[in-house]
Amino acid sequence: MALELKSSDNKIFEVEELVAVQSETIKSLVEDGCADNVIPLPNVDSKTLELVLDWCKNHVDMKLDEEKLKEYEDKFIEVDQAVLYDLLLAANYLNIKDLLNRACQKVADMLKGKTPEQIRETLNIVNDFSPEEEEEIRKENLWAFEE
Amino acid sequence: MKKFSDTPKPNPRNPNTTMARKRARKTKEYRNWLDLPKDVTVSILQRLGAIDILESAQKVCMLWRNICKDPSMWRAIDMQNLGDLHNMPYDLEKMCIHAIDRSCGQLRDINIEYFGTDELLIYITQSTSQLRCLRLVCCYYITDKKLSELAAKLPLLEELDMTISSLSEEPLEALGRCCPLLKSLKWNQLWDGRPHIRIEGDEEFDDDGVALAIAKNMPELRHLQLIGNKVTNDGLQAILDGCPHLESLDIRKCFNVTLSRNLGKRCAERIKILRHPSDSTHDYGFMAEISD
Repeated sequence: MALELKSSDNKIFEVEELVAVQSETIKSLVEDGCADNVIPLPNVDSKTLELVLDWCKNHVDMKLDEEKLKEYEDKFIEVDQAVLYDLLLAANYLNIKDLLNRACQKVADMLKGKTPEQIRETLNIVNDFSPEEEEEIRKENLWAFEE
Repeated sequence: MKKFSDTPKPNPRNPNTTMARKRARKTKEYRNWLDLPKDVTVSILQRLGAIDILESAQKVCMLWRNICKDPSMWRAIDMQNLGDLHNMPYDLEKMCIHAIDRSCGQLRDINIEYFGTDELLIYITQSTSQLRCLRLVCCYYITDKKLSELAAKLPLLEELDMTISSLSEEPLEALGRCCPLLKSLKWNQLWDGRPHIRIEGDEEFDDDGVALAIAKNMPELRHLQLIGNKVTNDGLQAILDGCPHLESLDIRKCFNVTLSRNLGKRCAERIKILRHPSDSTHDYGFMAEISD
């Protein structure tokens, strides 16, 4: 049984139902009988959808081989920041729990052990603290030993 | 010590200045990480552990600071650390107390490594009566008496991990009695084993105390991990008798157990996931003092 998914940039992907229902979002549509026509996914572009479907297909194929699957997942998640971000959003929107967990873990691994400024540099975030908030945080810091 | 805002002075050759960031924003590869749905950000930040959240993540920007102030972020507190407390510039117990305060009574799951005390346990149980998961690793200062006493404050406990402690089997009776929802127990020790230099009749090498306490008091157990325990075959039989719903059993480094013939057969039939005494402990992080 095949389903048709349409990306935000209007590309159609034909996918086996077994693969597509790794997405809880798509699974609900199938169960509600709304999957007969092309399923539009306005929040996912074709580049990201292709990756997501690759993840889903491999999770069906390698279901019984834990080691092989882990190897695949580790390789899969080695992507640029922008791609990682898009995967996070897609996994969240499509409700694919294991992909979301793996992507969140990847970001956490990128941030672990970094200073606030290093984190800002990594993710291009602006320091928008007011002096009052900075002071509040400094006051809370009861656990630091006196230098 | 992580400084709060050590932003470098503007320098056109430094790719990380504000100007460079503004330029980066115009490229196709730019993503605004602050646009992520809140629960995705929460999932990412929670994985950093309490120390990194309090020392770094909450100091990155206002949005993350506000997320980190939300009690729901602190339903699970993970005080993971490398155990090098003497080198750390923080008092982990104080930090943990601060984290518990932030949970505003919503604490469900806490992991404490290397610094737990009776006082901290009291603080936890005063903060919430709804703790589901408690993990205390290398918390040598927690006493039998206090844990037995506080068991009554853990009525919803489902998972307990006491890995490497100073405890005897004493608290297990109270825990069994007061925690009817307890499904998963880890009660791991550091035992050198050395079966080959066993002395006949030496009580120190055989000890079914823990096994019998579990068998007697925890009939609802589904998962049991008893690494480095001096349990014998008798103790193991008692566990199989006393815990009819046991699905997984990890008895690595339990050198007094020999899983041959009947006992081996019984285990194989009853237990879905069994880890044998001689199985490798490469995925268990606390055997540094013991050679494999």
